Amino acid sequence: MISLSDYNHPHSPHSLAVSVKDLGLTYTTSIDKKPTLKARLRTLGRGKKHTRVVNALSDVNIDVHYGAVLGVIGSNGAGKSSLMRVISGIVPPTKGRVEVYGSVSTLLALGVGFNPAMTGRDNVYLGGLAAGMSREDIDQNFDAIADFSELGEAIDAPMRTYSSGMYARLAFSVAAVVEPDILIIDEALSTGDAKFKEKSLNRIKELRSSDRALILVSHALATIEDVCNEVVWLNKGTLMARGNPSEVIAQYRTFVNARKSASSDEDV
Amino acid sequence: MDKPVVVYEPFRAGLPPMRDYLRTLWGRRTFIAEFSRSELREKNYGTVFGQLWLVLNPLLLSGVYFLLIYVIKGSNDANRFGHLTATLFLFYLIANSLTGGVKAITSGQRLILNTSFPRVMLPISATVIALFKFVPTLIVFAAIHLLIGLPYSWQMFWAIPIFLIALLMGLGMSILISCINVYFRDVSSMLPYLTRSLLYLSPILYEASSVSDEIKSLEIINPLFYLLDSWSRVVVYAQAPTTFGLLHSLIWALTIFIVGTYFFLSRERDFAVRL
Ligand SMILES: Nc1ncnc2c1ncn2[C@@H]1O[C@H](COP(=O)(O)OP(=O)(O)OP(=O)(O)O)[C@@H](O)[C@H]1O
Ligand SMILES: [Mg+2]
Repeated sequence: MISLSDYNHPHSPHSLAVSVKDLGLTYTTSIDKKPTLKARLRTLGRGKKHTRVVNALSDVNIDVHYGAVLGVIGSNGAGKSSLMRVISGIVPPTKGRVEVYGSVSTLLALGVGFNPAMTGRDNVYLGGLAAGMSREDIDQNFDAIADFSELGEAIDAPMRTYSSGMYARLAFSVAAVVEPDILIIDEALSTGDAKFKEKSLNRIKELRSSDRALILVSHALATIEDVCNEVVWLNKGTLMARGNPSEVIAQYRTFVNARKSASSDEDV
Repeated sequence: MDKPVVVYEPFRAGLPPMRDYLRTLWGRRTFIAEFSRSELREKNYGTVFGQLWLVLNPLLLSGVYFLLIYVIKGSNDANRFGHLTATLFLFYLIANSLTGGVKAITSGQRLILNTSFPRVMLPISATVIALFKFVPTLIVFAAIHLLIGLPYSWQMFWAIPIFLIALLMGLGMSILISCINVYFRDVSSMLPYLTRSLLYLSPILYEASSVSDEIKSLEIINPLFYLLDSWSRVVVYAQAPTTFGLLHSLIWALTIFIVGTYFFLSRERDFAVRL
């Protein structure tokens, strides 16, 4: 969900917002299901490796400027979420360097920090605090959040009684009130019903401004083409193309169709 | 050109910039409180019966252990029951902190992979939860103290520093074990044996004075032995603790806290890729 670093940094339009240089990232997963003391002791002295590395990103270079709306596309497992995690400081890079010039708010997954046993109201606070907002911020914005979510009375019901769409609505509403310098949204738009989807898309469009940088990760190519002014395409952890949305998306489409004739182009 | 606000570079084991870290942590204190409250609520402690259970559970436990002592030793004086409840309740502050802490990081996967915040908040909330559970037992003990007519004196104010040492010990253990469990997941399944051993090796079911000198000198390696002994002296017998007892527990608490925090803080940026 969102997390707001507490830096407040003045910046001019078109100045650099995020700079990613020669970025490489590997995850360490163990060969057994879980790293255990037992497994470690058993392989002790035999020099056997007990971990396996997954290459999620290699040699990625991206600059994002203020005023830009950058779309990130690519197939499942391409490393999109991993890239977002590095930019927001959740995962340290294995190689390379990432520089961030401003406060970052990330919406990587909806409803992180929510506790289903609590009411929607409690979760607005819980999720907001998890995102780095202060209690006063949330107090001030509570009505706006509740309105945006359109949950009505249900806001005082426990969240375990919510439908998944209602859950997503509240989660997006909490995230939507933050106004950071750099906003990263990972596949959070394709939730809710058609009406809410449009509403959240409009909210994203509202957030576009010359002194803010937006990074959107999505499989909804039409949305990306509609909202973004620049697109990067990741494939298996490497940067395949970047530039004009319609061109990159067209390249990506041909690439996908070349491998798989079934058309999966239609957007959600 | 602007200077970067934040730079992320490859992970190296080492402490993060401490001032920034502590500032961020302090800024997140309301989240720690709210997070702990919601965890407690999830386990139904929000209801009247849930809170009643918080009181009833330790009471029943001490009843069971009292029965055990009675069967084995045949003694049933009031002091013994007072000692048992007082030390057992304090022991549970630390044990709950350990059991809550062990999975604090590994079960917070979703939070850790999607939000950036000082990770040490998670084991801290485990200790806060243990503290929430401890407070009602303190009230129960005050009632027991009154009912069985244990003595009072000004020396009982020693309870405050001893309690703080216990809290520091619990916090240190929670931080240390949550970090260890990231690298060795079977630690969480070995933990019940560890807490059980601590329970039996500490002066809870017996009194420190009844232990032979040889064993007592071995108990130096038990961080809880003199802590619980001091606690019992102060809150049950209304005497001052021994200087040795205080120092022993303080040094253990500080050591565990410092070692645990050092390991945790120097590794925490590595957690996300290992979950
Ligand atoms: N926590 C993790 N531990 C180990 N490997 C991981 C972890 N998270 C991701 N990976 C691996 O890293 C690679 C990139 O994953 P990532 O989540 O960045 O893909 P993605 O582009 O976001 O895909 P999707 O479109 O499905 O969201 C995948 O091969 C995945 O298996
Ligand atoms: Mg993803």
